[in-house]
Amino acid sequence: MTQVEASARPRRPGLPRPPLAALPAALLVVGLGLAPLALIAFWSFWRFDPATYWITPDYTLASYAALMDTGRLPVLLRTLGLSALTAALATLLALPAAAVIGLMSGPRKAAVLIALFTVPFFTSALIRAFAWRLVLGRNGAINQTLVAAGLIDEPLEWLLFSNFAVIVGMLAAYLPFAVVPLVLAFGRIEPSVIRASQDLGAGFWTTFRRVILPLVLPGAVAGFLFVFVVALGTSSEIQLLGGAGDSSISIMINDVMRVVNFPLAFAIATVVVAVAVAVLLVAVRFFRLSKLFEDLGT
Amino acid sequence: MSAGNASGGIIPGATAGARPLFWAVTLLGLALVYAPAVYLLAASLNPGRQLGLVPPSEFSLVWYQALGGERRLLAALVESLWIGLATAVVATPAGLAAALAYRALQRGRGAFFLFLMFALFVPGTIQGLGLSVVFKLVAVRPGWLAVAASHVLWALPFAFTVSLMGLAAVKPSMEKAARDLGAGPWRTFADVIFPLVRGAVVSAFVFSFLLSFNEYARAYYLVGRQNTLPLHMFGAMNAGTSPTIYAFSGLVLFGSILIVGLLGLMMGRRRGS
Repeated sequence: MTQVEASARPRRPGLPRPPLAALPAALLVVGLGLAPLALIAFWSFWRFDPATYWITPDYTLASYAALMDTGRLPVLLRTLGLSALTAALATLLALPAAAVIGLMSGPRKAAVLIALFTVPFFTSALIRAFAWRLVLGRNGAINQTLVAAGLIDEPLEWLLFSNFAVIVGMLAAYLPFAVVPLVLAFGRIEPSVIRASQDLGAGFWTTFRRVILPLVLPGAVAGFLFVFVVALGTSSEIQLLGGAGDSSISIMINDVMRVVNFPLAFAIATVVVAVAVAVLLVAVRFFRLSKLFEDLGT
Repeated sequence: MSAGNASGGIIPGATAGARPLFWAVTLLGLALVYAPAVYLLAASLNPGRQLGLVPPSEFSLVWYQALGGERRLLAALVESLWIGLATAVVATPAGLAAALAYRALQRGRGAFFLFLMFALFVPGTIQGLGLSVVFKLVAVRPGWLAVAASHVLWALPFAFTVSLMGLAAVKPSMEKAARDLGAGPWRTFADVIFPLVRGAVVSAFVFSFLLSFNEYARAYYLVGRQNTLPLHMFGAMNAGTSPTIYAFSGLVLFGSILIVGLLGLMMGRRRGS
C-alpha cells in the first residue's frame, strides 16, 4: 500500500551486495532442501532392486501405479480431506481473532495476542497432541465434567482415538499458521477506508462484509493454504490421537520405508510435494500473496 | 502493527455485537491451544498412577523427582541440547544475512521470500527421507550432524523472518549517515546495524534452538544410535508405562513457553523505552 513502485525504494548504501549476503541461506535451501527433493522425484521413476536393497536406473511408472493399489489411494484422499477440513475450521477461527487483533485492540493488547498465537510455533507439537489424550480420554477432563454435570451417564468413547480427536489436535496445533497471515492482512488496511465507510452510514456488519472482508481475503486464503499444506504432512496427531489403524501420508511413507521400498516412498513424497507446491503457486499467482509480506522489515 | 488509538484499535465505536462475538472466538482459539497443556501440567502433579486432577493440597513432585533416574531420557536430552545449539549457531547468521539481502533487493522480494519460506511447507517426513538418502550417497553417517543439518533448514525461515522484523529498527538514513561519515559496509554493519538488531538476533537464536529441540519428523530418518529427545518421548508416550513422561512433557512445554515469553517481555521493554 505504501510502496507501490519497487524502483521508488531508496537504494540502500553500504551493505554487502545482495547476492553475496543471500548466499549462505540460498546454499542451505538449495543443498539441504531443493536438491534432495529433486533427487527423490527423479528416483521415483527407478526400479527397486531386491539384490542390493537399493534402486537401479530403469525408468518405469511402476511406483506410481502402486500408489493406486488397495489401501493407498484412500489414505491419500483421507489425508487431503482431513487437511482441508482442518484448514477451513482454522481459517474460521482465525478470522475473528485476527479482526480482534487488527481492528479492536490497541497496540499493547494486539502485541500480547500476537505473542500468544505465536508461542505455539516454538513448542513441541508432539507434546501438545499428547496432552489432548488427557483431556479427551475416557477419564479425561471433558468426560468427567459431562458425567459430573449429569449430562451423560457413560463416558463418550468417540472423543479420543477418532477423527474428532485428530481434527481437534490438528486445529490446536496449526491455528497459528492461519492467524499470522490474517493479522498481516488486517495490518495493511488503511483506517481511513473504514472511516469512510462508516461516514457513509454503513453499520459494522456492512463495513465488515463489503469493505474489510474483500481486503483481508488474500490473508484468509494464505492462512487456509498454510494450514492445509502443513496438515498434509502431519503424523503425530494421527499416531497419538487417531483410531487404531488410522493412517496418513507421512505414516504411509514411514511404513513403506520400513520394508525399504524406496521408489514407492519417493513416489508418494513426490506427489505430496507436487500438490503442496501447486497449491502454493496457484495461490501466489491469483491472490498476490507475496504482497502480504513485502512490508516486513521496512 | 495496528493503527488507531491506544484504547480500542481502529474500530473503537459500536460494532453491533461483533466485539463480544469475535472475542469469544479468539478466546476459544486460545483455549484450544493452551488448555490441554495446562491440564497436562496439573495432572503431572498427581502422585497417583491413575492420571487426572487432584486437589492442590495433594500436589506432589514425585514424578519430577523420578526424572533424575531416567538415564536414557537424560542422554536424549543432552543430544537434543547439542543439536539445538548447532542448529542455532548456523541458522541465525544465515537468516540475518538473508534478511539484509532481502532489504537490499530492488526487485524480486516476493520470490526471494517464498524461496526462503519454502522449507516450512515441505512435510518433515519427506524432507527427512530426502536428506537421509542424499546423506547416504555422500557418506554422511546418521547422527547429530545429519539431524542438525535438517533442523537448520527447518529453522532458517523463522530466523530470517525474525531478523527481518528486527531490521525494521534500522532506518535507511542511519546507514546513509554512516556511509557519509566514511564507514565501509562491514563497519556500518558492526557499529550501526548490529547493535540495533541485537535483540532480534538473540530471538532468532533462541527460536532456532527451540524449533530444533522440539522437532520430531525429520530426526526420525536421520538419528544414529542416540535418539533425540522428541523421538525418545514419542516411544515413552506410546509405551504408556510411567507417568514421568507427563512430568517431563509438562516441563519441556512450559520451559519453551517461559523462554519465548521472557524474550517477548525483553523485546517489548526495549521497544517501549
